[in-house]
Amino acid sequence: MKDDYAIKVSNMTKTFKLYSDKANTMKERLVRGWKSKPEVRTVLKNINVEIKKGETVALIGVNGSGKSTLLKLMTKIIYPNKGTVKTNGKLTSLLELGAGFHPDFTGRENIYFNAAIFGLTKEEIDKRLNDIIEFSELGEFIDSPIRTYSSGMYMRLAFSVAINVDAEILLIDEILAVGDQHFQDKCFAKLHELAKSNMTIVIVSHALGPIKDLCNRAIWISDGEVKEDGKCDKVIDDYLKECA
Amino acid sequence: MSVFNELYKYRELLKTTIKKDIRGKYKASFLGVLWSFINPLLQVLVYAIVFPYIMRVQTPNYLIFLICGIIPWTWFTYSLSNGTTSITNNANLIKKVYFPREILPISVVTSGLINFLISCVIILIFVLLGGVGLSWHLVFLPVIAIAQYLFTLAAVFLLSAFNVYVKDVEYMVVFLLNIFFYATPVLYSVDMFSGSWLAWIFKLNPMAHFINAYRDIFYVHQIPQLENILFLILLGFILVGLCYLVFKKLEKRFAEEV
Repeated sequence: MKDDYAIKVSNMTKTFKLYSDKANTMKERLVRGWKSKPEVRTVLKNINVEIKKGETVALIGVNGSGKSTLLKLMTKIIYPNKGTVKTNGKLTSLLELGAGFHPDFTGRENIYFNAAIFGLTKEEIDKRLNDIIEFSELGEFIDSPIRTYSSGMYMRLAFSVAINVDAEILLIDEILAVGDQHFQDKCFAKLHELAKSNMTIVIVSHALGPIKDLCNRAIWISDGEVKEDGKCDKVIDDYLKECA
Repeated sequence: MSVFNELYKYRELLKTTIKKDIRGKYKASFLGVLWSFINPLLQVLVYAIVFPYIMRVQTPNYLIFLICGIIPWTWFTYSLSNGTTSITNNANLIKKVYFPREILPISVVTSGLINFLISCVIILIFVLLGGVGLSWHLVFLPVIAIAQYLFTLAAVFLLSAFNVYVKDVEYMVVFLLNIFFYATPVLYSVDMFSGSWLAWIFKLNPMAHFINAYRDIFYVHQIPQLENILFLILLGFILVGLCYLVFKKLEKRFAEEV
């Protein structure tokens, strides 16, 4: 079958321009000259990864290794310098919770803003509204402006929207430290349920314990290259050995 | 065609962004969204006092003459100043979520259009109370508004994308709008310059054509120069297309530069 992949990264290289002090203003550009070459740093080198439909994959690695950049490339927030990143299926990325929230609007209105950013239509949001409110456990607060929310309530609402947007591919970056223990458990339970339902999930996390339970494959990224790719338990063990 | 597909898919986002642009700005204030109508009215009031009494302008029904110019001008400046910063002000979103970036500039110009259409009711009230009356020429209003919409959108595509790379653009826009205001016949009539070499400014300034046309339908009650407006619509479509291509080209590195 030609399209049994969910995400296919081929020969992909991403570089960032490194400015010691970025020339943002006209004056700086004129003074330094338009052509002054900034230092170029390669963040990801020749990455080849194919993720099949229904897989639950963890991206692990130390800070600055390029995991989040890889995730952003998959989302099409940034674009590769060389090679291609192809995705197949409706994709939702949770790189940040509460994107598009407006503090002066109520929780209910913000559900619409936030879900719309994920590409949902009004009818689709209407259908999910009750699930989202119930999952967030906000109760009557849902009709108060969210500037009155505590940060925990804010995160709960944001996560509830994100998790109820059903996509075929879900990309998650380090956002699971949400709310109290009870709510975190609930989030992981929901992720387990989604993983079983044949959704493709790619998750970046340093919480290796819960990740081990959730994922069946792990990709270890080190210095912009894939260092190890395989069974989740084994890769995480090797990673921990190296870190120790 | 995939452009329209993508926009259609994200139509709810476009709708909520427009709603946020219209209502969000004034949500916490007491008068709320009314501010977007009070502001131009207060501006009209200031000019209506200053010009007839201090500068001795002799235009009949100057208040109505003025309001026909100020209301479309408000749409134009609102769109340009807010549109230019529409990408940079939403840096958080740009860096964290994928969505068609053009939604941000489009929604600013569109929310401006909606405000403008509502504000036209104010013009109508003034026209009726001021004794100028209504005429069937109002049917041309949509045509003129479309032309202005296209020009504004083209400019906003370009400026919002440039502003990501060079932050000076937003400050230059403020200054240029100021000059542009005096180069556009908002406070005065083009007739004052007939025969003068300055008249070419109004020929080259699309806003001058639009404001003259609005005045034709609201104030003078005559058919606006249609071949002019139709030509501007055509040109507007071409400019929107070109500026959109530039926007799409520059968009790829928004998340890195913003």
